[in-house]
Amino acid sequence: MSHSDSGSDNDDFNPQPEVDEQDDQDVQQPRAGADVEDEEENAPRKTSGQVDGANDDDEEEDDDEDEEEDEDEDEEDEDEDEAPRPHKRRRKLRRNVFIDAEAEVDDEDEEEEDEGDDAEVVDEVHPDDYLEPQAADLDDRRHRELDRQRQMESSKDAEQLAAEFNERYTRRNQIQRGGRGAAGALPLELPTVNDPSIWRVKCKQGKEREIILNITKRIDQYRRVGQNVGVYSAFERGATIMAGNIYVEADRKQDMLDMLAHISHVYLGTPQLAIEVKERPDLLRKRKRTPLEPGMFVRMVKPALYRGDLAKVYEVHGNGLECTVQLVPRLNYGMGEDANARPGDAMKRKRAPFARVERPPQRLFNEAEARKKDMRNLSSAGTVRGSKMFHYKNEDYQNGFLLKDVKIRDVNPDDVNPRMEEMQFWSITSEDGTETLDLASVQAAQKAAQKGASFARGDKVEIYEGEQKGIRGTTVSVTGDIITLEVSEGELKGRRIDAPVKTLRKLFLEGDHVKVISGTKHVDEVGMVTKIRGDRVTFYCDSIQDEITVLSRDLKLAADSATVGADSKYALHDLVQIDASTVGCVIRVDREVLRILDQQGDVRTMLQSQIQGVVGKNRNAVATDRDGSEIRIDDTVKEPNGEGRQGRVLYIHRGTLFVQSKDILEHGGVFAVRSNNVTTLAAKSGREQAAGPDLGKMNPAIQGAGNSTAAMPPPRIFGRDKLIGKTVVIKRGPQKGLLGIVKDTSGNDAKVELHTKGKHVQVSKDWLAIKDPITGEAIDIGGSKFPNRSRGGYSGVQPSFNGGRTPAWGGANRPSWGGAGGRTPGWGAGARTPAWGGDGSRTAYGGDGGRTAYGGDGGRTAYGGATAYGGATAYGGATSYGGATSYGSNDGSRTSYGGFNAGGRTPAWGSGNATLGTKASAPTPGAYNAPTPGAYAAPTPGGYGAYSAPTPGGAPMDAPTPGNFAAPTPGGYGGYAATPAAPTPGAWPDTPWGGAAETPAAGGDEDPRYD
Amino acid sequence: MASGGNFIESRMQRHMRACMVCSVVRTAQEFTRSGCPNCDFLQLAGNPDAVAEATSPDFEGLITISDTERSWVARYQRLQGCLPGVYAMQVMGVLAEEYIEAAEAAGVHYVPRDGSATEAVDA
Repeated sequence: MSHSDSGSDNDDFNPQPEVDEQDDQDVQQPRAGADVEDEEENAPRKTSGQVDGANDDDEEEDDDEDEEEDEDEDEEDEDEDEAPRPHKRRRKLRRNVFIDAEAEVDDEDEEEEDEGDDAEVVDEVHPDDYLEPQAADLDDRRHRELDRQRQMESSKDAEQLAAEFNERYTRRNQIQRGGRGAAGALPLELPTVNDPSIWRVKCKQGKEREIILNITKRIDQYRRVGQNVGVYSAFERGATIMAGNIYVEADRKQDMLDMLAHISHVYLGTPQLAIEVKERPDLLRKRKRTPLEPGMFVRMVKPALYRGDLAKVYEVHGNGLECTVQLVPRLNYGMGEDANARPGDAMKRKRAPFARVERPPQRLFNEAEARKKDMRNLSSAGTVRGSKMFHYKNEDYQNGFLLKDVKIRDVNPDDVNPRMEEMQFWSITSEDGTETLDLASVQAAQKAAQKGASFARGDKVEIYEGEQKGIRGTTVSVTGDIITLEVSEGELKGRRIDAPVKTLRKLFLEGDHVKVISGTKHVDEVGMVTKIRGDRVTFYCDSIQDEITVLSRDLKLAADSATVGADSKYALHDLVQIDASTVGCVIRVDREVLRILDQQGDVRTMLQSQIQGVVGKNRNAVATDRDGSEIRIDDTVKEPNGEGRQGRVLYIHRGTLFVQSKDILEHGGVFAVRSNNVTTLAAKSGREQAAGPDLGKMNPAIQGAGNSTAAMPPPRIFGRDKLIGKTVVIKRGPQKGLLGIVKDTSGNDAKVELHTKGKHVQVSKDWLAIKDPITGEAIDIGGSKFPNRSRGGYSGVQPSFNGGRTPAWGGANRPSWGGAGGRTPGWGAGARTPAWGGDGSRTAYGGDGGRTAYGGDGGRTAYGGATAYGGATAYGGATSYGGATSYGSNDGSRTSYGGFNAGGRTPAWGSGNATLGTKASAPTPGAYNAPTPGAYAAPTPGGYGAYSAPTPGGAPMDAPTPGNFAAPTPGGYGGYAATPAAPTPGAWPDTPWGGAAETPAAGGDEDPRYD
Repeated sequence: MASGGNFIESRMQRHMRACMVCSVVRTAQEFTRSGCPNCDFLQLAGNPDAVAEATSPDFEGLITISDTERSWVARYQRLQGCLPGVYAMQVMGVLAEEYIEAAEAAGVHYVPRDGSATEAVDA
């Protein structure tokens, strides 16, 4: 072993190459010297030979040289060979002579080129320093030589070359091998074409290690039987981006395939990718772990209970594999555990493999709770640095934190980005009760996060770490994590130097206007720098009018103003729910924190996540002030005593007003006040502030007076549509003429169940005519037809016909009468008719219609039939004329009927009034009668029918009205009085005594007039 | 060379550790029984404490090497002269000072294998 022989370190590292070099030089230099002497003649011949030799030797030499230089850098004390150094440098300078030659010669093999041209050129030229000008032509020759040389070399294929090189380097490799122990100091060797190829082979993800070990097993087997292995190595990179791949190093692809054949989980079906030479070192690149330092924050990876939780490194253990972290415990203090379980049972119980365990919330360790619920597992472990330590369930707790030993690989120091909610556990409560975050720990947490991105061109920076500490400059460019800066002061002024981001900090001057761009909760605050200590900068914040201290890297020079809280879901002056009974008005929105003025007037600082939501503005909310006046939102109120604050009401919540004043500075002018402590100054909309309720509105007298002249509003129909259940006939459309019952209505349509088909059809209400279900007579529904009333006369016309006719019917019925003889039934019929008349008469009364009707055929027909009988009786009635008169007197009371009945003369009227009749009917109040009676009339007459003929006729007539009317109308008919009379009366009975009262009287009086 | 070869049975794989000096991977039991094949100076055989301190269960990347001379991977991993076997790409952990001294005394230049050593060639 060479290194064991030599006494000094430097000899160890590369003894042989130096010898080589020395030798070469010894040999060559004289030779080169000779060349110079007889250059002109011998040059062609000699150069060729020499170039060969030089090439061979010098390539190696140069390579070694490079290596040696590298070593020089590594090993400072290797300066023994001072002598060759200047020599080498000079030679290197000389190479400029052939700079164009290099350009001409285009070679495919870079390595070779590097080694080759340098060396040969170097050797030849170094003695020619002064001969250069004259040697131009010679140079040319040499160029040609060189070209030829090159061509020859390039004609060899890569493998041959590789073999040559291999041969050449064997010796050196052996030496290195011998000094393996020292190999670490050597630079790593880049792969070359002569090294075995490396193939990437796809495999099942997660099975990489197993495959590698199976390959190991197979290698073992091959060796045991003395078989050539063929595969030099195989490796995997675990769960990185290279997962699912293994890499196999072998000379021939077949070797690799043989090795992998029948190894499970290897996907030989997919093509194997040969890795290019220059990419190979990347396969072996090591990932550097962020070194942990006490105080820095990490994210937990491993214990599932704490996965993703923020933890603070408390201590890093000596072996670099473990550390102690501070965690906010997730304890349930034995809740949810089976208290009766025997100890150890829990261990035995098999955990459900994929059961998602709900983990307890993060809470600091609570001694009382642990004592109360789970005493047996708790023990006090003394006091450390003034804080109690507890030992609970095999874990240590200090200051409420859990101190846990974890493997370093189970924590993640990158991309921690602690949130404010998490950080609050580590906040420090100062003497005055305010909580502040430990800035140092935040700094540690975020140190790793420092990236080039936080620097911008033109930032003033300072290098605060490393050899160049103290250098200040201006950022010129940022490339990844390397920053180029132009030094602005000191010896290096004007020079550009590169520095890694982590050694830099931004530099600010007092008075600079800065903006927070990252890091703390103060992001986006803007202010003026007031104090700088190290890399902590204190600035006076524009928006909160207070000093904030942040790290300089989180700042940048700012020209703009603050836009804090732009992404918050809460806005300034929102009314928010704090807890079930508390609301508050937002008076300041920070990035993560809200300041809220609650209904007691206290200011709270809350995380946005702690707030339950926005309550919103209730425009209808009303409160009363101290005088009993109402207060609404946006009214202006004033405190009559106390501070005399005045402002506009933002919110009314129960008895509390949130008022905004323009005169108050604190809390943005918002204050909370009880509503009964203020007086209303002005209502927003000029709403009148009544001293009390408006009595005028309640006084019916005033009210009535005002409204008496007003027209009655059209009656509204409430409730069930009166049409429903009515029998109707359809007047138009395809179902025209069909009878049915209205089952339902909606809007203007009615659903009619047809009698014919038992089918429901939808028809417009306008197409329906209501019929009496029994008689089939058309009915006009009063209420809904109000506007039609005037027309009622017309519509009445036809009915009147009916009416008129009915009697005729009556006549038709005579047979029955006949049977009955003078019997009432006859009357009954007659009576009935009146009922019909009800309709008819109604209308008839209604007005002219009535008259015409009577005048018309109705009258006539009636004559024909009725006269006979009715006539008779009627005549009898005629005598009762007086009765008629009596009418007049009696109109008011129905008793008078009796009189009639008794007289049975009512009809008499008829006759008596015959003349009058026509006239009398004219005046007809009939309009009113018309509706009502119809319905009633029908039945009644029947009843009357039982009575003596006359009476009925008379009775009904009178009953109602009618004295007056009846009198006339019938009159028209003379003897028929009975019939016509009948109807009307029906109507009258109920209705309108009020109205009727007059009319009859008039009627009564009028009679004479008519006369 | 260990008589049983370098294969590690799957049930033993959870006990694999890597030597912090040469990165050879074996089970803790093997280290305790026969030491590190390349690093005698660590005197791991029969010394479980030393095994615990000078080897690490935390390593990344598994390499099996059948020829540490010919394999470029082995050379790049500074494993020339080591015995064929299973090695780790990267071994986490910090070797205690006493072991580093032992290595230096044995003429072995210790280069940490946890990725903190600069890879000079890349520059």
